[in-house]
Amino acid sequence: MRLLEAIREARRAFILLKGGQDWGLGVEEAYSIQETLFPGPLIGFKLGLVSVEKQRQMGIYEPIFGRVYPRMLLKEVASSHFLQPRVEPEVALVLKEDILSGSSPGMAYRAIGYFFLGLDILDSVWEDYRFTLVEVVADNASGGGFILGLKPYGHLPRGSLRLYLNGERIAEGSVEALGDPGERLSWLAEKVGGLKAGQVVFLGSPAQAVPLSEGVLELWSEGEVLLTRVT
Amino acid sequence: MDAEVFARELEHALEERKPIPPLSGRGLKGIHAAYQVQEAWTKIRITKGDSVVGRKIGLTSKAVQMQLGVDQPDFGNLWASRFLGVGERAEVPFGLFLQPRVEGELAFLIGRRLMGPHVTPQEVLASTEAVAFAIEVVDSRIVNWQICIEDTVADNASFGAFMVGPWERTLLTEDLATLGFVLYRNGEAVTHGMGAACLGHPAEAVAWLANTLSLFGVALEPGEIVMSGAWAPMQPVNPGDVFTLVGARGRALSLYFSG
Repeated sequence: MRLLEAIREARRAFILLKGGQDWGLGVEEAYSIQETLFPGPLIGFKLGLVSVEKQRQMGIYEPIFGRVYPRMLLKEVASSHFLQPRVEPEVALVLKEDILSGSSPGMAYRAIGYFFLGLDILDSVWEDYRFTLVEVVADNASGGGFILGLKPYGHLPRGSLRLYLNGERIAEGSVEALGDPGERLSWLAEKVGGLKAGQVVFLGSPAQAVPLSEGVLELWSEGEVLLTRVT
Repeated sequence: MDAEVFARELEHALEERKPIPPLSGRGLKGIHAAYQVQEAWTKIRITKGDSVVGRKIGLTSKAVQMQLGVDQPDFGNLWASRFLGVGERAEVPFGLFLQPRVEGELAFLIGRRLMGPHVTPQEVLASTEAVAFAIEVVDSRIVNWQICIEDTVADNASFGAFMVGPWERTLLTEDLATLGFVLYRNGEAVTHGMGAACLGHPAEAVAWLANTLSLFGVALEPGEIVMSGAWAPMQPVNPGDVFTLVGARGRALSLYFSG
C-alpha cells in the first residue's frame, strides 16, 4: 500500500505530500487506509464535503467522513502542532442512544442528545489542500483537531454561523446548508456499521475553510459564542 | 499502613462525633493509599446497613486546589444515610456533624451509563437525566480541618450530608457555566457563586469523575447522583442556622440545622 506508507511517513516526519496522484485505488480502499492509519478508540466522526458545490468539485454525490479520536478534542489550538491548519465553523451533535446500521433518518434523529457549536481544525497532509477524493479520504478527511462548545442546543442552531479571527469576520454560512441531521446520521451509521451513544458527530461546514493564524477565534450562532485561543 | 485500621478510626470519629488527628502525619502517604482507606470505610458503612447513592466531587476550585497543593479534584461517596431528600426544604440535626460547613453546587442525575476513560463533558450532558441546585454539608473527621490531600480523600472527600432541589430537565439546555446562585445564612447573603467556578463548567467535573472512576474499573450508573463540586467558598455553620440557596430564576432550597 504505497498511499498508506506515504501518508504514515509524511505524518511521522511532519512534512507535506504532493497531491493529485493516481494511486490506483478506489474510495472503499481509501477508507480502509484511513482506518489502518488512525487506530485507537474512537469518540466519533466528522463529515466533510457536505455542500453540493464541494461535492461537485470532487465529482461525488455524498459527503465523506473521518474519524475523531480523544486526543483530537482540544481546549485551545497550538498551531505548531499542525502542518497547514485551516479552520471551519461547524455544528456537532452528541448521541444519547445507539444508532444501528440501517436506521431510518427519523430513528437516527431521535438518538440525538444535544447539538453544540464546534470548530474543525483541518490539517491536510496534501500540499495546499490539493488532493483527489481517494487522497483526502485516506488522510482522515483532513481531520486535525476539534473544539467543541459546552452550551447544549436542543435543536439545530437556527440562522447562520459566523466565524471571526482577531475581530475580523473570516467565514459565514447558513446552518441549513448542513442538511438534515437525521439523514446524515442514517447515512453515516450505514457506512460505519452503526453509531454509539456518547459519540460526537461533526456535521461539516457551510463555509470555506480559512487558514489559521494566532489570536482568538469567535464562533457565533443564535447570540451565543464559542471562544478559542490559537497560539 | 493498614487501610482497615484508619477506616475503623474514621468510622468511630463519625459515630462518636470526635475528630481525630490527621492520618497524613501517621503514615498515610499517597492518593492511592488514601482511596484505599476511603473504600475500606465505605465497606464498613455498607456492613452497617448504609448504601451508596452516588458520588461527590471535591476540590473543584483552583483556590482550594492550591491550598492543598494539588492540581486535580477528588471524589467521595454519597451515603444514603446522609441524603436529606429532594425538594425545597430539609432539616438536619446540627449534632449529627463534627464541624460542618455548607456549600452550594449543581447535582446531576445520571440517565445513561458513563464509562471512562474518554468521557467528554458533552457526553455527560447528553447522558444526564436531570440536574438540580443542591446544598452539601461538608464535614471533617480530622481535627480542626487540618487536612492534607490524603486526609480528605481518606475521609470520604470530607462528605457530611446533602439535599437536592427539584430535578429539572430544562436546566440542561442552559449554559451551566453562567448559571449562578446567592447563598443566604439566616436571611443574610453570605456568598454567591457560578458554574464556571467548578473546573470551568460542572460537566467538566463529572467527565473528570467518570474518567477517574474508570481507573478503578467503575462506571457512573443510571440513577446515581453526582454532586459536581462547589461554586463558592464553604460557609461555617452554627446550631439553629437556616441556609437558603437561591439559584438562577428563583429556584430555591433551604436547609435548617436544628439545634
